[in-house]
Amino acid sequence: MRLLSAVLRTIRNSRRLAIGLVTLGMLVLLAVLSPLITKLIGGGIDPVELAAYERWLVPSPQHLLGTDQFGRDVFAMVIKALAVSLQIGAIAGVISTVVGVIVAFVAGYKGGWVDGVLSTFTGVLLVIPTFPLLIALSAYAKNVSLFQVGVMISIFAWPFAAKTIRSQVLSLRTRPYVDLARVSKSRDLEIIVTELLPNLLPFIGVGFASSALGAIFGLVGLEIIGLGPGGVIDLGQIIFNAINTGALTLGAWPMFAVPIILLTLLFAALNMINIGLEEVYNPRLRGVAGE
Amino acid sequence: MTATAPPAEKAAERTQESASPGALRAWLGRHPLAAYAIRRFGLYLVELWGALTIAFFFFRLMPGDPIQTLIQTLQQNYIYNQQASTELIARYRAEFGLDGNLFVQYLKYMEKLVLHGDMGPSLISYPTPAQDVILRSLPWTIGLLGISAVLSWIFGIVIGAIAGWRREKIGARIATNLSIALSHVPYFFVALILVYIFAYSLGMLPARSAYDSSITPGITPEFIGSVLKYGLLPGLSIVLIGTFSWILSTRMLMIPVLGEDYLLYAEAKGLKGSRILTRYALRNCYLPQVTAFGISLGFIFNGNVLVEQLFNYPGLGTTLVTAIQQLDFNTILGVTNIAIFSVLTAVLILDLLLPLLDPRVKYWK
Repeated sequence: MRLLSAVLRTIRNSRRLAIGLVTLGMLVLLAVLSPLITKLIGGGIDPVELAAYERWLVPSPQHLLGTDQFGRDVFAMVIKALAVSLQIGAIAGVISTVVGVIVAFVAGYKGGWVDGVLSTFTGVLLVIPTFPLLIALSAYAKNVSLFQVGVMISIFAWPFAAKTIRSQVLSLRTRPYVDLARVSKSRDLEIIVTELLPNLLPFIGVGFASSALGAIFGLVGLEIIGLGPGGVIDLGQIIFNAINTGALTLGAWPMFAVPIILLTLLFAALNMINIGLEEVYNPRLRGVAGE
Repeated sequence: MTATAPPAEKAAERTQESASPGALRAWLGRHPLAAYAIRRFGLYLVELWGALTIAFFFFRLMPGDPIQTLIQTLQQNYIYNQQASTELIARYRAEFGLDGNLFVQYLKYMEKLVLHGDMGPSLISYPTPAQDVILRSLPWTIGLLGISAVLSWIFGIVIGAIAGWRREKIGARIATNLSIALSHVPYFFVALILVYIFAYSLGMLPARSAYDSSITPGITPEFIGSVLKYGLLPGLSIVLIGTFSWILSTRMLMIPVLGEDYLLYAEAKGLKGSRILTRYALRNCYLPQVTAFGISLGFIFNGNVLVEQLFNYPGLGTTLVTAIQQLDFNTILGVTNIAIFSVLTAVLILDLLLPLLDPRVKYWK
């Protein structure tokens, strides 16, 4: 209950956050409805089935975005791929945020050598370039499920979340109200859940949005260099196909423009949420800006 | 884990201490900056060792046998028409540092790397050493990403400062909101759109390779012109997106400063707006930006895999992807190690320099 009211208060306070959430909400809705939409487009046949239609059709009322090199309806493909990209973001975002929060709380709250070891370890992971590691991991990923890909990607996403949240835990744990709770003999876990967690919600949100963003881009990047997991079509793979089949020279621009626009919208929405949350947390940024 | 740098460093410290324990401690007590520098340097060595170690074991756990791949490639090229002998395979394994168990391999690798700066032979272009393969692609990456990083930093600071200073103006609002929307968009997307417009639709600029292959490389006006022309699209895509994120962070740093009393005082003194902006406001937020810039320069050595791939640019990113596809461990590790080394070193240098640049920065007590 307390968490819920904290969330609502946060949203009411920031226009940017609201815009970001609405955009994200619409994209999610589109993804959730994707089975329905593809059914509607196909009207009986599966529009993303190979050779469902003629190849390289130009955009028309029947095929809003035309068809690809295999005769699949690009519009239906894009909607389906959007759902996959969002799922990866959500899976990796949740996992890395949970791990990040746990590490951050253990390090920040315990302090001392525990903090030293954990922080050094997080710092070390942060400087290892993640994209090569991701490429290497994709060597395993030829026949894995979407969930497993999400887990793989979150291996590299949690240190960032842990770092941002830890610095906030450090500043919060010395606040008077936390001391008060400690003096009144609350248990550590109780203090963390009731006193610290609600106040850190914006930062946990930032951690989630950044991790999700990183994960979606990570998978798109893998797909673009042709190393993505097999069996799933995400937005990156459509872009990869567009490049590799020469869609750019054939003038089949929707095939790369639409996935890029959708992903850009997604990145923009997540970034708006990020910045909106930061502004909520740091009112100095908002107050002077007069927005 | 014995042949690595950090323990050696600690041993050196210990011998120094045992020579004159009291004197050294007293000296360090009198020189907090030196004590801080030594501690910071020790942490740097620990981090460096940790990151290199994680990277080594991570890449060694990749599935696939590089030696078999190599021999198959050689056979396909009719260099061997028979099955390779076990002796030959063993020799290759030794050559590439793939013999013995993982731990022995690790010790050998670290010994060669730390003591001789030797990364082992490259598999793709055997027998060229991996460091030579990397050195060949390094100038392209540094040139492309370095120039782009500097340009986007300068543009970002200038536009961001103005956007914060004149935040109620319509232009500033557009710049801010555009930055919020686009600062996290991958460079690659912009690159793709630029390629579509300028290379395919208009046919104005080349979209592949780093220079016109009909020109012989050298310091001639033609070659330099060609390099600039070929680097324009990839560079532009990085500068565009990079600028947006610098605008955003500069603006975020500027705005809290704008509420400070000393700005009001400067205004009351009747100073010109531009002077207040550059001498008073910007001065107080340039430090984090210098730090971030230094770190971003360190990250240049990661290469930009996607942009380099799209433009077929012969930089570190392309080298890395080829190396991973061929399981060229020594080259993969070499590229990763250079990236790790440069980021950590950039952070170290900044941490040591900042107390000298700004008297307010104090890491020691």
